Formats: sequence, C-alpha cells, structure tokens
Amino acid sequence: MGLRAYIVTRVLLTVPMVFLLLTIVFFVMRILPGNPVLLKFEKNADPALVAQYTHMLGLDKPIWQQYIDYIWNLLHGNLGLSMAGSFEPVGPEIMSRFPATLELAIYSTIVAIVVGVLLGSFAARKRGSIADGAIKVYGIFIYSFPVFFLGMIFQIIFGVWLRILPVGGRTDIGMIPAGLTIGNMHIQTGLYTIDSLLAGNIPEFFTALKYLFLPSISLGLVISGVFVRMTRTNMMETIRSDFVTAARARGLRESTVVYSYALRNALLPIITIMGLQFALLLSGAILTETEFNILGLGTYLVDRINFRDYTAIQGTVVFLAILISLVSLIVDVLYAYLDPRVRY
Amino acid sequence: MKKVGSEQDSLFSASAILFRPLTSAIRKGNGRNFIIAGLAIISFITAMSILAPFISPHNPTALDIGPPNSPPSRQFPLGTDLYGRDVLSRIIWGGRFILLVAVTAVLVCMAIGIPIGLLAPYAGGYVDRVVSLVMDSIYAFPSLVLAIMIVSIFGPSVINDALAIAVVYVPTYFRVIRSQVLTIKELPYVEAARSIGANRLSILFRYIWPNVLASVVVVATINFADSILTTAGLDFIGLGLPVTLPDWGIDLTYGRQGLASGFWWDIFFSGTMIVLSALGFSLVSEGLAERTNPKLR
Repeated sequence: MGLRAYIVTRVLLTVPMVFLLLTIVFFVMRILPGNPVLLKFEKNADPALVAQYTHMLGLDKPIWQQYIDYIWNLLHGNLGLSMAGSFEPVGPEIMSRFPATLELAIYSTIVAIVVGVLLGSFAARKRGSIADGAIKVYGIFIYSFPVFFLGMIFQIIFGVWLRILPVGGRTDIGMIPAGLTIGNMHIQTGLYTIDSLLAGNIPEFFTALKYLFLPSISLGLVISGVFVRMTRTNMMETIRSDFVTAARARGLRESTVVYSYALRNALLPIITIMGLQFALLLSGAILTETEFNILGLGTYLVDRINFRDYTAIQGTVVFLAILISLVSLIVDVLYAYLDPRVRY
Repeated sequence: MKKVGSEQDSLFSASAILFRPLTSAIRKGNGRNFIIAGLAIISFITAMSILAPFISPHNPTALDIGPPNSPPSRQFPLGTDLYGRDVLSRIIWGGRFILLVAVTAVLVCMAIGIPIGLLAPYAGGYVDRVVSLVMDSIYAFPSLVLAIMIVSIFGPSVINDALAIAVVYVPTYFRVIRSQVLTIKELPYVEAARSIGANRLSILFRYIWPNVLASVVVVATINFADSILTTAGLDFIGLGLPVTLPDWGIDLTYGRQGLASGFWWDIFFSGTMIVLSALGFSLVSEGLAERTNPKLR
C-alpha cells in the first residue's frame, strides 16, 4: 500500500470514530433529564412561552428527526447554532476559541519534550545510579500532580509572592496582536506569539510569552513524566544496539556516542508518544485553561455544559475527535518520513 | 563496597551464604522499594481516613472554629480556611470520599473490563471488531471531556463520579487484556491444553487468565491513581463531589479564592494529600510493572 492509499484508509477509519462518539453524546444528552429550555426558565414559567422556545430550538421534533437534521447539517460543514446565550453559530465560536488551546498545547509539548528528553537520556546513560533513581522517582511524582495544583503553586510563588509573572489571561488587557497584512491578504493565526511576530511587534511577543509561561510550564511538567520514562526506556535499548557499540569501538567520545548517535534513534518513538499523549494533553489543557483563565476550547466546553447547550457540546466533541484523528495521522506519516524502514 | 579480607567482611559473607535463599528472594523482586514506599503511603492514608472520627481535633464542617484564613499556628496546626474551618480536621476527613470514588471506580472497571477483554478476542470476528472499535474510540478521546459530560448529565455524587471514571477507563483494561489474550492463546502450552480436549472456558480461565492477572493488577493500581486525579479534576471544574462534603479536591478548588492574598495553607495541604495518595498507587504500579517488565529496570 502506498502512502497515499494509507492516508485515505486512515481518514476513512476516523469517520466511524467521530460518528460513534457523536451518536452516543447526542442521544445520551437528549434522553436524560434536563435540557437547555428547562435551564433557561423558572419552574412555573408560562407553558406557552416554554413551548415556543422549545420549538425555536427544534427540540419539539422527534429525537431521530433531530439526529438526521444534525447529521445532514454536519455533512455540509454546519455545526448549527448555539442553544444558549446569544445563539451564535457554533463553528466560528469553536474556531475563535481553538487558537488559545493550540498555543497552550504547543508550548506545553515543547516543555515536556525538553524536560523529558534531557532527563530521560541522562538517566539511561547513568543507568542504575542515584541520579537514575531520582529521575525515575521524578517521573512518577510529577505524574501524580493535578495540573491545576501545580499551577496554583506557581501562581502563588511567581504571581503573588514574587510578582514577576501574570497569573491569568493570554495577554495585557486591550492588546490583541494584529498579525500580518500583505496587500489585501490578512494573516492572523490567533496564536498570540505568532501574530505578534508576524506584526513585527517584539514587546507584544514577549508579553504573550510571559502570560504563557506559567500555564505551559505547569502542563508541560505534568506531561513530561511520560516522556522521561519513554526516552529512558528507548535510550537503554538503543545504547545496547550494535551500531552504538561500533561507534564506541571506533574510539568516539562517550558523549558523542550517546547524544549524537544513540539519542537520534531513540528520539524517533518520541513522535509516536506525542501522538498518544495528545488526548492526555487536551484533558490537561481543560484544567489548565480553567486555572489560568484562558478562553480556550476547554473553558468553552465547561461553560456550555452548564447550560446544556447541546449543539455547542456536540460541536466541540466532533471538533476534538477530528483533531485527535488528524494529529495521530500526521504523527504516523511523519514517522514513516523520518524512519525509512517504515513503509505503508 | 567494603574492602575484602577484614574479619567483619568474612562474617558478613558467611551470613550472606547462610541467608542467601532469603536475600535473593528479596533482591529478586525488582521495584521492591517502590512497592514498599507506595504501600506505606496507601496504608497511612487509609488508616487516617478510617480513624478520622477518633483523631480529628475538630468537626471538619463546623464553621468559625477559629478566625477565618488564619495561618498555621499552635492552635490550628494547618491553619483555618475561608469559613474559619479547621484545615487539619478537613485534611483528616477529606480522603474518605475521594478514596471511596476510586475504590468504586476500580471495582466497576474490573467488573466490566475484565470479562469483555477476555471474551472479545475469543469471540473473534465481528463481535471483536465492533467492541474494539467502540473501545478505541473512547480510548482515543480526552478522558476528562467524557467524564465531565457524564457527570454533568447525571449530577455530582460518589456513584456518578465512579461511573464516569469507569466509562473512560474500561477501554484501558480492555486493550491490555485483549492484546495479552491474543498473544497467550497462541502459545504452545495453550495449544497443548487444547489438544488434550480442554474446553474453551477452562482454557480461558485456567490457562490464560493466570498469565493475564499480573498486568491487570498493574492497570488496576494506576487506575486508582488516575481515579483520584480525575475526581480532583472534576471537583475543580465544579462537577465532582457535592460541595458540602469535606474533600481534598473541593478544598483545593475553593482554596483558590485565598490565593491572591497569599493564603497558601488553603490549597497546599489538600493538594499535597491528593498528590500523596495518587503517588502511593503510582509507586506500587511502577514497582509491579518493573517486576514483570525487565525493560523498565
């Protein structure tokens, strides 16, 4: 099977997953008590008004009819209108919230990889030493931390006692990095660190970075435990392989052997872990966003759940499911590209 | 290592030979320190939770035991919270429900995950494929999102929290058990059992299950740790246990209000207890994993 055929198969395989999750969420939410209408009105509200509102949201139709309508709209790329608040379209709302989550995810992953690879490869090199034991314990210890507790500790140290870092939000009030305009084309990613660079505004870039610092360190450290462990295991196996022994036999320095021979090969599986950890990363992002007051996808979902906003919740689930499939696909393709032994 | 040849050393080596069977049995157990440390933490926390009514100095829910937000002092060793409740008493009581959720969740997970994981690969064909697809879909999705949705629909309570955790964790049991069954059922000793006419169920439970058990225990211990962390996360979102209960997760969430004023004791002790209890189970899990998987050592 060629690469293209592989990609097509994978994309087709994600359809049942998205469909399945959506169907479960759709029916479970509607079958169980509580809905956006009941939450909107008082207990003894005018029945006519309630009926009118129910009709407006389309919730008076039979459930299967609602389901077919929703799927039909979804196939046309339409996620519908929100069922609470100002009834704004769900799709654009999700897209406006997503960059904050993406930015947090990117920077946290960088933190996790840097910490994980450094500690993991060091531990593998000093296998069995006290340092190795300590790093192993670090991995277990940091995994046991609720990300928001770590965030609180950082907030109180750096934000309240030392007063050197902001404890919430994405950037200073009223400052939204402009992005880049070439002719009548406007590039604005919504990722503040990138937009500010595109606009050539260095102070804005550092401000955005300053706000990102504590959230991404908190989330990155919590996830780094898994990276430390995997890097260590991979490194120990690679160090034992023939080509490393050969490099050592040629009289290369130990650090050259470890860091430029073994590490390169041990790093390949890290890409796979990144894909596997993506769901964990998103779970952590919800808590981190709540703790640091970041208006991302996680806070959007939590906010909408309180209103039983069916369409918004369904939309977010569909979006996340597609996102996860996409990430795992990219990871697989990237892996095949980097490791010529893997062919599809 | 000590110098060879001293008198003390020869005594030492003589005793080492005498007790070799014993010492080697202890040494053979890799990850032993992790398991012991983990069990110590777990026993401490369990004992504290069970003995709470006898060792807690104050009523954990009584308001205005002391002045609100007073820092740790001789009278209140861990300070008082926003409502003037004694933090130490709340810490002592606060593990009861979060641990109850974890125990319930693990039991539910095992009750569902183990039979499905054992039977699906044996059923094979369509059944196996459909079950795997459902499990993989749940597995790939961010667990907290699913847990949040389930709890938000059913409402917060010990049972609902446990069910939410079970739904997101059953796939982990399923995947681990299924992959093991698929490997083990092709091994020669199972084939031998089949050739002497053992029936399918007896092969599954008498030949395969004992070899799957070790990894189930590893999964179950890490499931404990994750359940504690998930419950704390749900508490934090406002969807965990009812707020009237003395609970570490709830104290951690509400303690945030004093954060800007620097009232660190409001969050520090409850947070530490959550870390400690998750750590206890993670340590045991890691120790057990090292025993069974030499690659991790």
